[in-house]
Amino acid sequence: MATATGGMGRRLGPEGRFLLMALPGALFIIFFLLLPILSIFVFSFWRTESYTLIADWNLDNYGVLFGQGTYMTFLIRTFITAVLVSLFCLVYAWPIAYFIAKHGDRYRLLLILALAAPFFTGIILRVTGIQSVMGPVGVVNLTLMEFGLPPVEFIMFTQTAVGIGIVYLFIPFMVTAIYLSLLNFDFELLEVAKINGAKPWRAFIEITWPLNWIGTVIGLVLVFVPAMAESITSRFLGGPNAASFGQILGLQFGETGTWALGSAMGVLLFIVSSAVLFAMWLTVNLQRSGFTGKEG
Amino acid sequence: MGRQATGRVMFKGSAGLLLASLYAFLYAPIIYVIYTSFNKDLIWPFPPQWTFSAYTGLAKESTYHEALWNSLLLGVGSAVMCTVLATMGSISILKYRSRWRGLIAVAYLAPLFIADLLVGISSLLFNRQVLDLPGNMVSAMIANAVHGTSFAFLIMLAQLARYDWRLDDAAMVFGAKPIRCFWEVTLPIIWPAMLGAFIISFILAFNNLEISFYNLGAIPTLPTLAWGSLRFGLDAELYALAALVNGVVLLVFTVMYLLMRYRIVSFGHRE
Repeated sequence: MATATGGMGRRLGPEGRFLLMALPGALFIIFFLLLPILSIFVFSFWRTESYTLIADWNLDNYGVLFGQGTYMTFLIRTFITAVLVSLFCLVYAWPIAYFIAKHGDRYRLLLILALAAPFFTGIILRVTGIQSVMGPVGVVNLTLMEFGLPPVEFIMFTQTAVGIGIVYLFIPFMVTAIYLSLLNFDFELLEVAKINGAKPWRAFIEITWPLNWIGTVIGLVLVFVPAMAESITSRFLGGPNAASFGQILGLQFGETGTWALGSAMGVLLFIVSSAVLFAMWLTVNLQRSGFTGKEG
Repeated sequence: MGRQATGRVMFKGSAGLLLASLYAFLYAPIIYVIYTSFNKDLIWPFPPQWTFSAYTGLAKESTYHEALWNSLLLGVGSAVMCTVLATMGSISILKYRSRWRGLIAVAYLAPLFIADLLVGISSLLFNRQVLDLPGNMVSAMIANAVHGTSFAFLIMLAQLARYDWRLDDAAMVFGAKPIRCFWEVTLPIIWPAMLGAFIISFILAFNNLEISFYNLGAIPTLPTLAWGSLRFGLDAELYALAALVNGVVLLVFTVMYLLMRYRIVSFGHRE
């Protein structure tokens, strides 16, 4: 079957043609992603002196991270926020993605692009926009106070406000991932289930949800990963008691110039995120997701 | 039976409402920014005092032109790389069976698992310490393209999962060379997916802050300009620029909608 293409296939076998097409991108990513990540791993064991990295191998950076409670507080707080935000986005995004895939008709692409369009407005303008509308001294709260009503407390410089900001920034990714998964989902399977007497809810639990689990996992990843590294919303919406790990990490490369410590923070962030992603990966069954083992 | 039908209408209605609420949530801050751009007072623009000073300022101030130009350049350069690499990658994964398939797919998707901030700082340190390169447009394009390629790949993969590659084989059996086969058979079918991949990777690079900031050196783009001006409070000109960019996006969407409405172009939708 593989040799049926004959003709031009003489010089390169299917394996060769596969590698010719796939390798440029893979090498590009290995060189510009993997090597930099490896390099910060190395630098995390060095030290910085007046804005220069010095190859003086030691564990001091990790000592600081694990020894001083504040860094762990930042990390744990950020982690909990990221988990809660991802779960919230999951619940919010699923019906929306399903609605667009099933009822979006020929405007599906447009409906999805409309979710991506806010990204044309830079992150800073959008976050200051949120601050002005929903923030502590924003339109909503000041209007309430104007009428003598109490302001909405939970959006006033709290961790919840940071969470709302992160949902705002990353929920489009979640909707899109689930939508793309549903795009290849055979809705006729549901008709079969219906004919066989399954109620819609049961058909969803037993067919739609498991068959689109990989899209859902990708959506969770696309929200969780940036939420873990989030640095802008906590700065604008969080106030003094809601600084995030990413915000402090960014500081090491700006104001303080302690690159080695920053590298160690980066490595820690990478390890924590990877552990969560690995746990999610264990729940994925590629065979059922239709991405492998499919041959016409 | 009747109850199921009502349930379906109820679901459709509430899911539609959820979608509407999401649009409202996403666009409220942007509408606020656009509204404010026409006002004298940026901090508390109520009641409105209309002015076009932000727009006249924008026309005069060359910093913003430069930043917009750099953002566009960064977006296009990065998106071209992403689309080419992702198209090649997705076709190879879907079309050929190979023992490297899983490994290659993992490589293409790996950047999704790494936060922007980490891509930014690690490529900054790598370029500086290992390659001895200062921040410049090319390294920023490349660093952004690393992320964009994954997104583009994912979009292509999802859209092409049902493409029948036997069409290509058929064309080749009739003697078409691979390049000709791509132009005449594959491309006309996959271009909407490529367009989607291009648009998404363009948007991601055009307005990226965390990767671009660390890799651009002193070259300004719109997001880094906004970041830099935070110390003194955002300028009205940035609001005006955002309003104009959104105006262009709205125009493009309207044209797309009309093209679909009158079935001139379907953007990949098959009736």
